[in-house]
Amino acid sequence: MKKHTVRFSLNGTPREITVNANELLLNVTREQEKLTGTKYGCGIGECGACTVHVDGRPTLSCLQLAVAVDGAEVVTIEGLAKGRELDPLQKSFLDNNAVQCGYCTPGMIMIGRNLLDENPNPTEEEVRTHMRGQLCRCTGYASITKAVMGAGKCATGDFKIPAE
Amino acid sequence: MSATQLKSVGDSSWRKDGISKVTGSEQYAPDISVDRMWYGRVLRSPHAHARIVSVDTSAAEAMGAVCLTFADVPQTRYNERIVSTPPCLYRDRTVVADKARHVGEALVGVAAPTEELAEKALRSIKIEYEVLQVITTIEQAQKDGADPVHDTVLLNGEDKPIINNVAVQRTIDVGDTVKGFAESDFVIERSFKTGRIYHAQMEPKTVICQPEADGGITVWASTQSIHNTRILLGQIYGLPLNKVNVKKVALGGAFGSSIQMNSVTPIGVGLALKSGHPVKIATTREEDMHDHVRYPSEIKLKLGMKKDGTLIAGEMHAFEFKLKQYVGLGGTFWGQGPASKCIIRSDGVPELLKTGAELINWDKRPKPGSQTGRMRRGIGMARGFHTSGVGHAKASGAEMIDYSGAIVKLNEDGTVDLIQSLMDHGGGTNHAISKIVAEELGVPNHMVGISPCDTRTSLYDVTTHATRGIYAGGAAALKAAKAVKEQIIDWAARVLDVLPESLVIEPDQELGQGVIYCPNLAERRMTVGDLARYLHLNSLGTISSSQSMRQVNCPPAYVSYYVDVEVDTDTGQIHSRRAALGSDCGTVVNPALASGQLIGGLSKGQGYALTEDNQWDPVTGELASKGFWVDGKTPSISESPLVADIETHFAHTYEPTGPFGAKGLGEAAKNPAAAAFANAVYSALGIRFYELPITPEKVLAALAEQAAGKTARAARQAPAPVPVAE
Repeated sequence: MKKHTVRFSLNGTPREITVNANELLLNVTREQEKLTGTKYGCGIGECGACTVHVDGRPTLSCLQLAVAVDGAEVVTIEGLAKGRELDPLQKSFLDNNAVQCGYCTPGMIMIGRNLLDENPNPTEEEVRTHMRGQLCRCTGYASITKAVMGAGKCATGDFKIPAE
Repeated sequence: MSATQLKSVGDSSWRKDGISKVTGSEQYAPDISVDRMWYGRVLRSPHAHARIVSVDTSAAEAMGAVCLTFADVPQTRYNERIVSTPPCLYRDRTVVADKARHVGEALVGVAAPTEELAEKALRSIKIEYEVLQVITTIEQAQKDGADPVHDTVLLNGEDKPIINNVAVQRTIDVGDTVKGFAESDFVIERSFKTGRIYHAQMEPKTVICQPEADGGITVWASTQSIHNTRILLGQIYGLPLNKVNVKKVALGGAFGSSIQMNSVTPIGVGLALKSGHPVKIATTREEDMHDHVRYPSEIKLKLGMKKDGTLIAGEMHAFEFKLKQYVGLGGTFWGQGPASKCIIRSDGVPELLKTGAELINWDKRPKPGSQTGRMRRGIGMARGFHTSGVGHAKASGAEMIDYSGAIVKLNEDGTVDLIQSLMDHGGGTNHAISKIVAEELGVPNHMVGISPCDTRTSLYDVTTHATRGIYAGGAAALKAAKAVKEQIIDWAARVLDVLPESLVIEPDQELGQGVIYCPNLAERRMTVGDLARYLHLNSLGTISSSQSMRQVNCPPAYVSYYVDVEVDTDTGQIHSRRAALGSDCGTVVNPALASGQLIGGLSKGQGYALTEDNQWDPVTGELASKGFWVDGKTPSISESPLVADIETHFAHTYEPTGPFGAKGLGEAAKNPAAAAFANAVYSALGIRFYELPITPEKVLAALAEQAAGKTARAARQAPAPVPVAE
């Protein structure tokens, strides 16, 4: 199979990778780049666990061909915290106990971040509409809804990740 | 000690694994990779019932793949779930099967240097099948002349024949039911059916096995018990347990689906041992759906009662169902599996019922059948419970294994490591137990860390099941913490030159330390950190304790459900609009997370009651969804009530046998859901449903029959299964 060179920005860092034409963005981030925060849940776009941002748009990376992100800016869950400061939505997930097993959490935070970028103070109905494609089996969604609606009240820098 | 005096237990601070989970750095089994790792795939049966005549793997091997067939694996049968002792452990599995007993049964494992090559190699394998009779219903299976699915089953070393596909019949008799029914004022008889729901845990089952130079193996696996996985792998592959190391990694949900060793785990190990390479198998969602569901059940129930509602007699005939029969407050009743009894020493039910009724406006619920118009509201309630663990009981010569272990050690700066193999499914069990340790030691919550561990460095824990995590696992950690505290006090008494009895330890939030002091000698004080440094610098050793424990009771964790539904009589859809969910879990260790468990229970219970049913084609035995997850109708955010319309509340009880008064919560959070929803639908429509899920099709059919003036009884009959079109 012919190899393709793809140049893109990954969490702000320029990357150049060589992939087969059928390689998926999810496999590139998880296996080549060792960024395992983005999760495989179903592989066919049903659960939303693999959601990342491509040029600011929420994208199911299990359905996204890697060659198609040539020239794009890709942000994964690992790229959300600024240095050692959590994103306000990450902090809001902790404040609202919106994390249980945590497997859906990266996808939930990425789609929620996208909504907040467009609409910093969404109504509950707007949150439900925007996040209806994400599955969670633990929380029953109430805490996640509260976390997204409450993120506007959290300022960046409220919490620093402890040093290693 | 009353709950109000507690410092760590009962607060809602961030869970300790929270930061790693929101930043994507938490490691689950699918996130593990090791050097030189090969990829495994599993060839699964396309037939529901077929004997394998021959397997040809030569083309796959010519590509450089390694294959694992029935001829390559140990032929000894095992039970993949080992929480029972041998007298009641039925063994019927091998690593890969010689006969397909369901569509998707694992038949051949394949490993290759790349996933792509493994898949190509898998597709080159040729299997000749002798197709047998497909059996998909209880009736078919029990007919004379039905093909046996299993020929025999191994029980305690004895190969037992299976007649008409019934491996075991269990009869449980308590008291005199003939007399009980004769003395009853009312007797009701009903039949119920429940659906076949898929666990739908977010993490697909995964295993990584690394063969070690000394002949041992290191394993990362999706599991509810690293120690049971280790014991089984040791038994199957004839390895001493000190050569089998299973690592504890985060679990992306389970809901019971990883209580057994998952099917891919021993296959990955077999491939690693055969190839000499580390092997990773990560299942696809479709493979996972073939591997486990909640069994559907059919229940015939007869109950006798007095005019005041007191139940005095009961008879139940159930298939694939475990008996849970209430006998009375203060007495005993049968809990998880018929082999355990519990003593009720805390009962928050009256409080739960009162609070729930007030929150939902129970007194204003619609009278059944009183409404007309398209949209009709209804309020229903139900209560339920789950035992906290399985307690201590011997019955029928068999026993459940149920104990936990924990190691607590004081570090050189006064922080504490909690080393415990007990798995957290997501509810925050490990976090809760670390708070129990902090509470006992008198140090701030953040001082107790949850250590990564594996089977070599931790004590045995049976498995996180039966709602036992905090009650049983927490009790073991508390026992270790008590022993550590005793040593801290003993050493501090020597250093401060006071009697040990005069010392107390309390957390000081400003210092961020536990402070050891003598209440009436103010100058005799030091922090736990000071003591730890003193012991270290004077080479006096590490304070630690390693303890195992079995809880002898298994108190019921009660839950009450009040739900409000809206039925659309045009479409038959039932919308979940409001809920008041109450829990009696004793002392609430993690209030916000406990509330989250209740709301999660509502979501799963709503799916069970109203939408979810993983249907199989009754003719071919194939999954009707073909592996598409959303066809199973897992509830999404859109089907959930609005945030403000869900209330959770807790009973103010203290369980004397639990750590700081705590008992379980997990599974109880879902148990009453289906009955509450069915009662709410009755309130809205005046129609009783006895078969789950209560789908729009069933609602519309029942409404049509109601309109046609037929009896409500006719509406209960299930439609015949419809074969899925090709």
